[in-house]
Amino acid sequence: MQVIENSKVKETLYLEKLENGLTVMIIPKKGMKKKYMIWGTNYGSNENVFIVPGENEKTEVPNGVAHFLEHKLFEQENGTNSLDTLTALGVDANAFTTNDMTAYLFGCTDNFYPAMDELMDYVQNPYFTDENVEKEKGIIGQEIMMYDDSPDWKVYLNAMQILYHNHPVKIDVVGTIDSISKIDKEILYKCYHTFYNLSNMAIVVCGDFEPENILEEIKKRLKNSKANGKIQTFYPEEPDTIVKEKIEQKMEVSQPMYTIGIKVKPTDNPEEMVKRDMAIQILLELLVGKSSPLYKKLYDEGVISGGIGGSYEFSENYAHVLISGQSNDPEQVYSRIKQEINRQKQEGISENDFNRIKKKLYGEYVKDYDDVENIANMFLTNYFMGINSFDYLNQIDTINVEYLKQLLNDVFKEEKMVISIVRN
Amino acid sequence: MNYTKKEIKKGIKLHVLNTDKFKTNLVAVFLTTKLERETVTSNALISAVLRRGSHTLKTQEEISKQLEELYGASFDCGIDKTGDNQVLKFYIESINDTFLTQSNENILKKSIENILDIIFNPLIENNAFKKEYVEQEKNNMKLRIEGRIDNKRRYALDRCIEEMYKGKPFGLYRFGYVEDLKNINEVNLYERYQQLMKQCKIDIFVSGNVNEEVENIITENQNIKKLEEREPSYNTESEKNTVKQGKKIEKMDVMQGKLVVGLDVNSQNEDEKYNVMIYNTILGGSANSKIFQNVREKANLAYEASSRYFRYKDNIFVNCGIEISNYEKALNLIKEQLKDMKNGNFTEEEVENAKKAIISSIKTIDDEQDTSITYYFGQEMSGNQKSVDEYIERIGEVTKENVVQVAKQVEINTIYFLRN
Repeated sequence: MQVIENSKVKETLYLEKLENGLTVMIIPKKGMKKKYMIWGTNYGSNENVFIVPGENEKTEVPNGVAHFLEHKLFEQENGTNSLDTLTALGVDANAFTTNDMTAYLFGCTDNFYPAMDELMDYVQNPYFTDENVEKEKGIIGQEIMMYDDSPDWKVYLNAMQILYHNHPVKIDVVGTIDSISKIDKEILYKCYHTFYNLSNMAIVVCGDFEPENILEEIKKRLKNSKANGKIQTFYPEEPDTIVKEKIEQKMEVSQPMYTIGIKVKPTDNPEEMVKRDMAIQILLELLVGKSSPLYKKLYDEGVISGGIGGSYEFSENYAHVLISGQSNDPEQVYSRIKQEINRQKQEGISENDFNRIKKKLYGEYVKDYDDVENIANMFLTNYFMGINSFDYLNQIDTINVEYLKQLLNDVFKEEKMVISIVRN
Repeated sequence: MNYTKKEIKKGIKLHVLNTDKFKTNLVAVFLTTKLERETVTSNALISAVLRRGSHTLKTQEEISKQLEELYGASFDCGIDKTGDNQVLKFYIESINDTFLTQSNENILKKSIENILDIIFNPLIENNAFKKEYVEQEKNNMKLRIEGRIDNKRRYALDRCIEEMYKGKPFGLYRFGYVEDLKNINEVNLYERYQQLMKQCKIDIFVSGNVNEEVENIITENQNIKKLEEREPSYNTESEKNTVKQGKKIEKMDVMQGKLVVGLDVNSQNEDEKYNVMIYNTILGGSANSKIFQNVREKANLAYEASSRYFRYKDNIFVNCGIEISNYEKALNLIKEQLKDMKNGNFTEEEVENAKKAIISSIKTIDDEQDTSITYYFGQEMSGNQKSVDEYIERIGEVTKENVVQVAKQVEINTIYFLRN
């Protein structure tokens, strides 16, 4: 096993890539009673066009398959449901799907190995029937409607609609009532056999463990499998431009909600991804963070009454900055942010402010290492993008004001900005 | 982990949770006062005004900069209802010096000083709060109260509680009421603040890798020194509801109907509440529960279908998000599950499984700093001093008969439905 230590947070990662292609990562946490395991596949709602291994033609599937598959994988041939079995063991089990990945997980204090038996069994043994696929459409239909009533989700999704022309990141992870109606068991099996190959998957375990033991326990529970090599996936051509600058939706909300998006040219270089991620977070703090001059002005003028959230979302093939919040006058917030970006471009970034925000960012990375679930999820998500989570701690000192200035010019471009609003 | 509690002055307690498991230190200050219609809005507003600036750090900007200097220490405050009390909660979380690039900054000491300064040493002008801050926060509070409707699920639950406890302290909204705001100004709010500081129960929690020094830091702090001894004024008992068979259907522009069923558990004593926890887990507290299995998995009526036990008030709330036309169907299914529980239509195995789930969550209490603080505060408030081990033991003793007994006492109090 590869042993990677980090002296800043005083944690160690044990990493092993097995012959069958599966990656196993173990982060021991002495003294923690909670044990956590997550098994992910590098396959999310974005992967809708691909070549099934052994075939020559492209396959295109309806939106929402990855998420549907996540729901159905719990179903067992003997009529039981693995979520019930895991719950009966007293463990806290769950699963989730994002644009880029799907993951199955549980956390517990006792019964770790019986739970591991069940998790590793159901993920490796799909059982789909016409009947059980049909029944799930009702449940997922209600899940879709639950999101329809959530204005913060709608305002985000609408921003994606006008940032992207074609890229599937603009599509809701769960799909639509219409798209899921087209899903059948053949489609689910096809996607399963393509993307649930061990070489496309990784397991992360975090808790008070001996790494060698855990690795052996995982190996014992793996079915024979051959790595099927890189899966060919296809994404539609995505222009650099935005679709349009503004979108509005009516919903019953107390105060308008907004999401401002900035389309960014993605990079597939993991080192650059980490550096950019950190630098953009620092820039967002300087632009709209609680200590920024713009935040103070907008708050004092009563334009905003709470925080302005900033985030940077990215993968190898898409990237965008999101700035969101609530305001009685979202258009004003939008134009003031644009002005502030221009001001900072002209006046430059002060070394003092930069150092202070960098300290804050460092502290936040350290805090990430207190919770077993958070640690494991972070390592898994980063791993699928070729990033080792420790890279953030190791590279933070390579960020400097020069680099920030460069990114401010390259990323925060007016012609790449959009605003989505939900109001009464 | 080692937990100690000490009364540093009458009515003011220091709780120290010493543990070396974390990279952070978490300091919390809870101010507990009676939940009353007359003061609920002012109390909520006080917390919002305090965070705007203190005597030492006069603006939000200065506070934020200071927190950033402390390696991104996070300061947060909130308002909670604990039984019939309103609790103003303040937190500051910062990394332990061991993880600093330069050592010996004593981040913990600075964090404690900052949080105490914000709460107990406010910015005062002419014997009043700063007018500008009060006026701005009144506006913000109005938006916040009106913002209740934005989270429809939470709103439906809150509305059900309000219907059940109409005219009772627990039926009050924790942030208060818009109509109160016009009568609040910087002078009377400061008066209310001074009164609150004299009367409220104060609990200070410190969790982290700390030594004896921490007690000194707190007892020697000027802001703590100037606090007077008090006979803290808060509710140790909570008022029962008087509503029976309430039903409320309200309309809003929603796609999905939100159904909430409020149940009275009618426990005979504190000890019976352990039995109720098992009852709730079997009824709707897990993926194996009757409600999840029957409403979601068998009838496919919902994605979300669950129940929650409010221990302080001895109520269970069943929630689900459903197609509006399925209201009767879902409600009948829920009623069937309650009946099934009464008839003892569940297995010994289900009881054992519920115990496992609850015990597992008890065991992880001290894996999270905020969860352990909440746990020890709960003990403080209920006057029920059970160690984690005793708690586990008590859960382990619950029998199927105990659960059936609970089921027989449970009654539907109020049915609330939010629809279009």
